[in-house]
Amino acid sequence: MLGPGVAWYLAIAAFLFTVGGLGVLLRRNPLIVLLSLELMLNAANLTLIAFARQHGSLDGQIFALAVMAVAASEVVVGLGLVVAMARRNVELDTDRLTTLRG
Amino acid sequence: MISAAWICLFLPLAGALTITLAGNTINRRAAGVIATGSVAGAFVAAVWSFVAMLGREEAERAQASTAWSWLTAGNLDFGLEIYVDQLAVFMMLIVSGVGALIVGYSIGYMDKVDEERRFFGYMAFFVFSMLLLVEGGNLLMLLAAWGLVGLSSYLLIGFEHERPAAVAAAKKAFIMNAVGDATFALALFLLIQQTGTLGYEAVFAEVDGLSSTVATLVALGLLGGAVAKSAQLPLQTWLPDAMEGPTPVSALIHAATMVVAGVYLIFRTAPVFEAAPEVQDTAAILGALTLVAAGLIALVQTDIKRVIAYSTMSQIGYMFLAVGIGAYAPGMFHLLTHAFFKALLFLAAGILIHALAGEQDIRRMGGLRRLMPFTYRAFLVGGLALVAIPPFSGFFSKDPILAAALDDGNLGYALFALAAAGAFLTGVYTFRMIFIAFGGEPSDDLRSRLQLHHGREGPMSMLVVVGILTVLAAVAGFLQFAPFWTPVDDWLDPVSEPLVEATNSMELVATIVGVSLGLLGITTAWLLYSAKRMHVPRPWTVLEEKFYFDRLYDAVFYRPSVATAKVLYALVEGPLVGGSLAGIVSGTGRLAGYVRALQTGIVRTYVLAVAGGLAIIVLVFISVRQR
Repeated sequence: MLGPGVAWYLAIAAFLFTVGGLGVLLRRNPLIVLLSLELMLNAANLTLIAFARQHGSLDGQIFALAVMAVAASEVVVGLGLVVAMARRNVELDTDRLTTLRG
Repeated sequence: MISAAWICLFLPLAGALTITLAGNTINRRAAGVIATGSVAGAFVAAVWSFVAMLGREEAERAQASTAWSWLTAGNLDFGLEIYVDQLAVFMMLIVSGVGALIVGYSIGYMDKVDEERRFFGYMAFFVFSMLLLVEGGNLLMLLAAWGLVGLSSYLLIGFEHERPAAVAAAKKAFIMNAVGDATFALALFLLIQQTGTLGYEAVFAEVDGLSSTVATLVALGLLGGAVAKSAQLPLQTWLPDAMEGPTPVSALIHAATMVVAGVYLIFRTAPVFEAAPEVQDTAAILGALTLVAAGLIALVQTDIKRVIAYSTMSQIGYMFLAVGIGAYAPGMFHLLTHAFFKALLFLAAGILIHALAGEQDIRRMGGLRRLMPFTYRAFLVGGLALVAIPPFSGFFSKDPILAAALDDGNLGYALFALAAAGAFLTGVYTFRMIFIAFGGEPSDDLRSRLQLHHGREGPMSMLVVVGILTVLAAVAGFLQFAPFWTPVDDWLDPVSEPLVEATNSMELVATIVGVSLGLLGITTAWLLYSAKRMHVPRPWTVLEEKFYFDRLYDAVFYRPSVATAKVLYALVEGPLVGGSLAGIVSGTGRLAGYVRALQTGIVRTYVLAVAGGLAIIVLVFISVRQR
């Protein structure tokens, strides 16, 4: 098997996932939150593909494709919402969007 | 033959469905015509069945037919079946024949009444239910039809639903009938448990094998159903109140057909009653007591329809007496003639009420003989038939019942005495009604209120029907003149052999006693109310209170249940049900308040909760794995 071992891929994926997770938790700009979400999803994709390579099975790759499709749709909706908010001059700060509190 | 019986059964149902589904798309007159046509079609089919049956050997006359399996439960299997024998055809002819006449009469009577279509839909539905009752092929179908006729009766008594009295009367009829339905159903449960079947022939074959206790209980249950439906003591109080319904309803349901279903039931299940002779005697005794009690109450009634209603109770008492002592065919023959003359009396009273704009109190009538000669003649024929004066039809059917009572031993003599007393009372109350309403000179007030219909006493459809019934009430008795010719007895005897056989001398005694007492009654009424030679005694309170039955039931059932309900409301429903509900509501609200705090609206806290939860789950999994 050429290239670095699976452990490296997993390490990078874990790093990306942590960065993404912290971004979602700490940042308040919805654009950055969406971006961080994408990072987390792609970290998960990376682990899927790494394990697929290790086991020599295509299942993980196919699953990663499915995740990409879902991520794409999610970005469409998310960015659409962000654009709509910007157009209505709503402040782009997730902590201020608390209309749905109980 | 059997297909004609099916047609006879389902034509009125088709009529009822057509009227119901067509709704406002047909005009009012069309609904009446559809109802009359469907019932008349049923009559034609019944005649067809009858003629076909005439052409068969006596042993092959009874036929059963199953459409499909209706109800299956364990080993029990009830078909949607009909059982057509001599008795069923006899009843089919009466129900559909008299039914067609009365529904046709209603076209004129119900003209311009609101919701006329609903009325005709109900009427056709009633005829279907009643035909199902007489044609049903097993006891379960009989019970189902028993309930259906009760339902139609309820709907039609309460037809004028804007009047509280009509609604109350409808409820009363329904509830008192439900008592009978319950005992009937209990009897059937017992039969299922003991014999495992409810088919007529199967049950009758096994009835001898039942222990006497079981047979008595079953017969008592059936008798309870019969007594409630036929308004006999002690479940009689609903029938007079049922006169709140329109007059054609009183004529069809509460005189000619439904209320005689009890007589039919006892005849139909005769083997069960014969296995429990003391119950059959009870039926006869109840009938005899009812006929006297109802006759006495009828003496003081002032509402023309209530007088006729009490006379109906009294005449059904004669029929109960007859089937109770085992004189089945005479009982059924009286049922036939009674259907004619009682329908005639009701429909003639309907012409009066129609012409007098709803007046039913005989004290405010008088002298109607001059104003309404046609109705007077109809009433006179109906009255003479009711009092059993020869040659009118009641004479031929009532006296054989008296004669049969003489053949029933010591009990029979007592029954005969009561029945003879009833004959006298019949003469008095019938002609009291006729003399008060028709005799004398009409007052100016009455003249002013009389509304003639194009110069006639009523619409043509009413007069024609009353005319036909007048002829039938006058001559139908010649169908059978015991002991000289007895086609009705010969026709019905194979269904269940009679237990008593009146000899010629008994017939003679009964005829002399019956007719002379009837004439004596008429004379008494004449002396009291027409010639006024005697002082009319003040009505006894016990009669005006109808022997206190209503008050008794009020005190025994109604008031205790209302009092119990009030106590239960105060002690149980208020604190327990209401209190616990309030507790549940406030508790849920408080709990929701706590949960609400979690819903901050800030997305990041949700994310933190998800991430934290996930972390905990992962930690748990790892720790479990390590162990």
